[in-house]
Amino acid sequence: MNNQTKSQFVAVASITSELSAVMVVAKEISLAAANAKAIAFRAGDKAKGFQPITDFINELAKETIELVTSINVYALSLYQLTVNEYRKTIAYNKFELVVKIAKDAPYAQSMQPPLEHAKLSMELCQRQFKRDVKQLLDQLEAVMHHARAARVIAANSRIEASQAGEYLQSLQAVAESVDKAAHTIHDNVQRCRIALSLYRNS
Amino acid sequence: MKMTKIYEGTHQWIMFGRDENKPVNIIDSNQYAVRTANRCLLLEPGGSELFAPMMAAVLHHAPVEQITDLFASHQDPDVISSLGLWDQALSNAKLHAPAIWESFLRHFGCESIEYVPIPDNGGTIKLESVELQLIPAHYLHSSGNFHVYDPQARILMSGDVGSALEAPGAPMFVENFDLHIEKMRYFHQRWMPSNQAKRAWIERVRNLDIDILAPQHGRIFKGNDVKRFLDWFDALQVGIAV
Ligand SMILES: [Fe+2]
Ligand SMILES: [Fe+2]
Repeated sequence: MNNQTKSQFVAVASITSELSAVMVVAKEISLAAANAKAIAFRAGDKAKGFQPITDFINELAKETIELVTSINVYALSLYQLTVNEYRKTIAYNKFELVVKIAKDAPYAQSMQPPLEHAKLSMELCQRQFKRDVKQLLDQLEAVMHHARAARVIAANSRIEASQAGEYLQSLQAVAESVDKAAHTIHDNVQRCRIALSLYRNS
Repeated sequence: MKMTKIYEGTHQWIMFGRDENKPVNIIDSNQYAVRTANRCLLLEPGGSELFAPMMAAVLHHAPVEQITDLFASHQDPDVISSLGLWDQALSNAKLHAPAIWESFLRHFGCESIEYVPIPDNGGTIKLESVELQLIPAHYLHSSGNFHVYDPQARILMSGDVGSALEAPGAPMFVENFDLHIEKMRYFHQRWMPSNQAKRAWIERVRNLDIDILAPQHGRIFKGNDVKRFLDWFDALQVGIAV
């Protein structure tokens, strides 16, 4: 296995692991939203501005989870493509070797169609991989967008929390955990994008 | 890869082996081709390391598109781990292999090649006018295992039975049977698990008219050495590891 293939395997595998971490964090946000909703309910009028925010956070978490689920399907297909490309590349290299060794053989020419076919299917895999990487990058961009939105909401929540009297501390804690979670998602997704961007135009 | 024609009649048998470029830590193996006018059958096509030299050697005898059939006596990697590469090279081929190994052998990659499962009691492979018999040889050493008998050429391709562990570049044929015994003894005692299976096989094979016994490793037996081998194997205790 050459280094290019090896790092492609690693890149695809790392996406799956980063994404499963994103999933965990998104579920945390969703929990934080439920928690905030309960507090805001108890706080009544004092946390009036906070209530719509909790719904918004919850919605955001749900969307992120859906998005990551669909990205995972893509990541799996990228993995299968990588395996396929690896197989086709090995075959192509072996067929080239056959042509080299068999140059004096009376039927050497008959190796041309399989060689050509192997080359085409190897290249098809490579193109498909690039196309899927591009689509995956777009979806990751959407998750980044969600993470950024969550951070803005967290900042708003902090302001609203400051008006909530004795509930200030618990609401601030909610805002804090949303902010932290959004930050983690942002970082993880960013790492996925860096790992993949190598293959977009390579 | 060395090539030796071991039968020439209405069809041909070619033996391939003793590849000089084979990595040293890989067991040397014999591959065989049965060539008719328009078709070619490869017996025990070999490990994936051997694919390129083997394919290149076959191109001296047949064009790729006429390689229509592969045969694997059993599931071992030295027999057939090249399957995934043949699968990508051949567009219209069949693999004849034991039925019980189908789902195992598919791990090597078998998408375009059609897997023709050989039932436990054997069968035939028809190659134009040539009909080859698939002789059950279960537990010698694999639990699902077949040998190929050509009644016209009087050749029995006997898979791992008759194999010897040899120094690189050993001759193709047994020249002195008594000297050859020591190269076969441990292999048969250690790899062959069942005295009962051995007895059943010998009984079956003694009824065949055999000029050439062609194993997957080591040297080929001719003429009287075939009978000598059967007698020697008959008397040998196998399955020594337990
Ligand atoms: Fe074997
Ligand atoms: Fe073997």
